[in-house]
Amino acid sequence: MMSNLLLNELIKMVHKKRSYISFILILVLVPFIVGAIDHGGNSLEKSLYGQLSDSFLFVGSLINGYLATYIIIGLLISHMPFLSTIVASEIVSGEFSKSTFRMYLSKPISRRRILLSKLIIVLVYTSLLMLFFIFYALSISLLWLGKGDLAVFHKGLLFLSDGDVLWRFLLAFFISNIVMITISLLCFLISTFSNNSVTPIIITISVVFVGTAISLIPIDLFQLINPYLFTGYVNIFLTAFYDPIPWAKILKMFYICGIWSLIFILLSFYKFETLDITE
Amino acid sequence: MSKNLILNFEKINKSFGQIKAINNVSFNVDKNSIHGILGPNGSGKSTLMRILSGLIKSWSGDIFFNGEKIKRNSNIYLKSFGFMIEEPSFYEFLSAEENLKIFCRMIDCNSRSVENSLRRVDLIDWSKTKVKNFSYGMKQRLGIAQAILHDPDILILDEPNNGLDPKGILEMNKLVESLQNEGKTICISTHILEDVEQLCDTVTVLKKGKLILNSSMKELVRKSNLINIKSRKIALLEKFLQNTDYNIVRKSDKKIVVKTKRKIQEVCSIIPSHIPISSITKDSGLTDIFL
Repeated sequence: MMSNLLLNELIKMVHKKRSYISFILILVLVPFIVGAIDHGGNSLEKSLYGQLSDSFLFVGSLINGYLATYIIIGLLISHMPFLSTIVASEIVSGEFSKSTFRMYLSKPISRRRILLSKLIIVLVYTSLLMLFFIFYALSISLLWLGKGDLAVFHKGLLFLSDGDVLWRFLLAFFISNIVMITISLLCFLISTFSNNSVTPIIITISVVFVGTAISLIPIDLFQLINPYLFTGYVNIFLTAFYDPIPWAKILKMFYICGIWSLIFILLSFYKFETLDITE
Repeated sequence: MSKNLILNFEKINKSFGQIKAINNVSFNVDKNSIHGILGPNGSGKSTLMRILSGLIKSWSGDIFFNGEKIKRNSNIYLKSFGFMIEEPSFYEFLSAEENLKIFCRMIDCNSRSVENSLRRVDLIDWSKTKVKNFSYGMKQRLGIAQAILHDPDILILDEPNNGLDPKGILEMNKLVESLQNEGKTICISTHILEDVEQLCDTVTVLKKGKLILNSSMKELVRKSNLINIKSRKIALLEKFLQNTDYNIVRKSDKKIVVKTKRKIQEVCSIIPSHIPISSITKDSGLTDIFL
């Protein structure tokens, strides 16, 4: 029965145009940025070398597919909550607003199962989007600019050799996906309270915005609470390119996001199971 | 509890904030009957149907189905029910067939059921058409199709004739009757009193959440002292009746309802031959109860 419910949700998702907006946006935006990096490579290199060029002699170019991907992820990761919540915002509230729940929930299936099928679709969509984002960016960048060592800033300029980079992108995907899933689950929770699909996105993005502000403003109180907020880990992908990798920090992020995700899931189920459908 | 009962509502209460939507409502529905649930807007008809369908979770009272109390934490009983609550809302981006398949997957029925249901409501030629291109009446019929998809014992139809043209209403009524002939029980809420008088075996009237009437139509007609007189010359008939001791209760362009304890034959006999009479029938009095 669960497979039937999943199939239902999958059919609904693939037939909605909004499900493709995020993918199309990434599809168009990534080559545009890679092209811009290729075109403005010299100025980018100068800013990367900075004062180091006074002391060292650099042979060859730092601009390659890996660096372009790293830059693209850094540029777009803070905007990904907009895209990853598109399905989560609508998957429950959309059925309220269109009154389709009147028929869907009057069938002999428990609400718990119905919500679980929707939750799984949200998790799959968010993960697929993040996978597509990182590996499409990597593919386009490598095809356009080729391979090379990756130069990143971590305690100065850190060079990661060609063979040491690919697995780090895979790690970057896994850890940033956990944060995005937590954000999608917040949106999913708000979706169970809302009867339109715009409110969940607005509230979620507002929460991420405030959380990001807290992580950036150097006030004692904010710095005290920031490690316990999932919003403080939006840029966690950067740690995948540190040497050595700060596994303790990644594990902490995993716990924090896990706890928040669990809270969001439990609240969603409680709300959905006790909800009166009166629309 | 009578063996002939299929559904039994006991002291149902539901409030929305300070508003009491259902106030201590109790009534029974007989097996294989067409049971009308009547009431003006806001009387609690839809709320009652939503409670039964599990859409409303917080309510008090008991509902018995086939003598067994419906458990709040289980909705297995819904296997025996088919619902169409208020106007049916479908996934507009899917075809009629795909929509029914969505519901079919939830109740484990096969694709033949989808075809049969669509044929039953005369939508088989539109099965591949997206629901967004359907008229309101077609959506109503598709709503019935999804309700009968799994061949339920009892159908709960909330204003199924809404938005249908006269031909559509006639066909819908025929469909409801044929479903009853197959042994199904049908609970139907409607504003069209003529449909209730024609179709229903029993009737429940709600007003502001309270039960006003629960009776069989036969009993209602038997107890009523109202008589419908239909005529093409209504003004002439009215003038004549005003000079008698018959009390005119209501009148329209085609009929006059009078209050009298006399029998139909007696009423027939006093009307002069120059006033053409189309029909004289007993009136159930539902209109007055409803209003």
